Amino acid sequence: MPLRPWGFNMVEAPEPFITSTWQLQRCMTDLILNAEGAKAFAADPKAFGAERSLGKADQAALETFQSRLLTYRGLARNALEDPLPDCFPITHTLLEGAELWDACLDAFLASRTIQSPYYRDVNPAFVTWLANSTWGQDRWPFLLQLAHFEYIEVEILRWPDDPLSKELKTKPTADGQVVFGGATRNLAYAYRVHEATKEDPKPTAGETFLLGYRDTEGDFNYSELSAHASAFLARCMEDEPIGTAASVLNLELEEVLDLLSGFRAKGAIEGFR
Amino acid sequence: MNPFTGVGVGLRRPHLQQVAALASSPVPFWEIAPENVVGQGGSRHRQVMKILERDPIITHGLSMSIGGFDAWDRDVLENLKGFLKETQSPWHSEHLCWSSFGGATTHELLPMPFTRDSVRHTVERAKRLQAELPVPFLFENVSYYACLGVSEMSEKDFFAEVLEGADCGWLLDINNIYVNSRNHGFDAKEWLEGMPLERVQQMHIAGHTWYEDDQIIIDTHGAPVIDPVIELMQWVLPRIGRPVPVLLERDNEIPELEVLLAERVSLQKAYDDAFATVGVQHG
Repeated sequence: MPLRPWGFNMVEAPEPFITSTWQLQRCMTDLILNAEGAKAFAADPKAFGAERSLGKADQAALETFQSRLLTYRGLARNALEDPLPDCFPITHTLLEGAELWDACLDAFLASRTIQSPYYRDVNPAFVTWLANSTWGQDRWPFLLQLAHFEYIEVEILRWPDDPLSKELKTKPTADGQVVFGGATRNLAYAYRVHEATKEDPKPTAGETFLLGYRDTEGDFNYSELSAHASAFLARCMEDEPIGTAASVLNLELEEVLDLLSGFRAKGAIEGFR
Repeated sequence: MNPFTGVGVGLRRPHLQQVAALASSPVPFWEIAPENVVGQGGSRHRQVMKILERDPIITHGLSMSIGGFDAWDRDVLENLKGFLKETQSPWHSEHLCWSSFGGATTHELLPMPFTRDSVRHTVERAKRLQAELPVPFLFENVSYYACLGVSEMSEKDFFAEVLEGADCGWLLDINNIYVNSRNHGFDAKEWLEGMPLERVQQMHIAGHTWYEDDQIIIDTHGAPVIDPVIELMQWVLPRIGRPVPVLLERDNEIPELEVLLAERVSLQKAYDDAFATVGVQHG
């Protein structure tokens, strides 16, 4: 389907649903989510409406309520921006410092990546948009990975609780399998993202393997892993028997059993079967 | 005793730990958004669930975009239905507005055009949603800052026609009526007269913010309720003639729990006074 001149991933409704209400909502969405749309509307609301097939009476109404309609862009922008600095404090600090936070937000909103009705999904939508758009990553190649690690903390904290299982064993065995906590994430980055801070938001380059998990207190925690330990845990996550996974990677069985027992004590692993 | 009367409070994240630790509920009822609870886990979620099991709850939705055109996500709808059954909410409410278009969500309460086409469209969507839900559905009147397109009727007539057409209940937000009356220059009491008050099942009350530069009041829920809004609540309650529950909303600049509960007590007194003067019994 060809895009209209104003289109940003514009979705066309099937013919029977194109009504005046539909046209007005399409127009308003353009005004709210697209910086270019808002600029065009501010310059000439009647022309903005005409380009979007509105009738003359509706065009005139856009002009009458021009400033108030622009208020809605500010409100929507605030609503969508609000959760981001809390979830991405370091990314936010970095971009604010470079005076690019507003540009980043404009590009994010214009992408229309936020589709979930759940407000909490604004945060993962931001990471998805960074991944798809590669925005800012010429200048900061670590940006996506930094934002991802910041989001993972929120995801782990809020991940649905695991149903209690009485069937699981408390000690790992060579022929057993590992049952990880549902919130546990085996993470690999090309930057030391976990060392970035608001004071020093640019992580240094370096292969980094982390196991993120919700600990026994219900808090977010992570442990740094060796490349081998990360590969071993990845195999365990695929339900490979512990002994097989250790053998394939030439790891000492006693060492991996200790590793797994340690992670069970921390809350990253539910148990073994 | 019917718990759904008097003045309740919107349950908010900063207060969860403190409220969950209480031996009993400090309010007649809480209001909660299902979208903020379903599909979640962790310690905060456990605090919410503890409160939901202990205290009476009314649900209020934020994201169905009933005036919009996007199809509802089946999983979201099923989650909502399950939550309503689980919490035994007496009804479920949503705003008469739209918030998403073409798959993109704005998370803002956007105004409907005040037109016959818009009435027809919204009534049809509301009927479809009501048919899905296990509890009665209420529409909330919203604050609107601009008319979207040319109006064929007043906002008041638009809202009344949708309520009647969809045959659903009304969550009367008294602050929204006050905000609209100030922003659009009409008399709030005149707006309420002639409206189908028999459809009111619940009320919302909240604070707002005046922006001098833009000469506009925004429904921020970020300040205490002002006296004219409390007086409007007291004016309309006897006209409704039933002790419908009133919910104090606070979403920004959220104060300590004790401060919010003190405001609730003050509103409860105003609520009781409104009925005492006309001799209506409640409880």
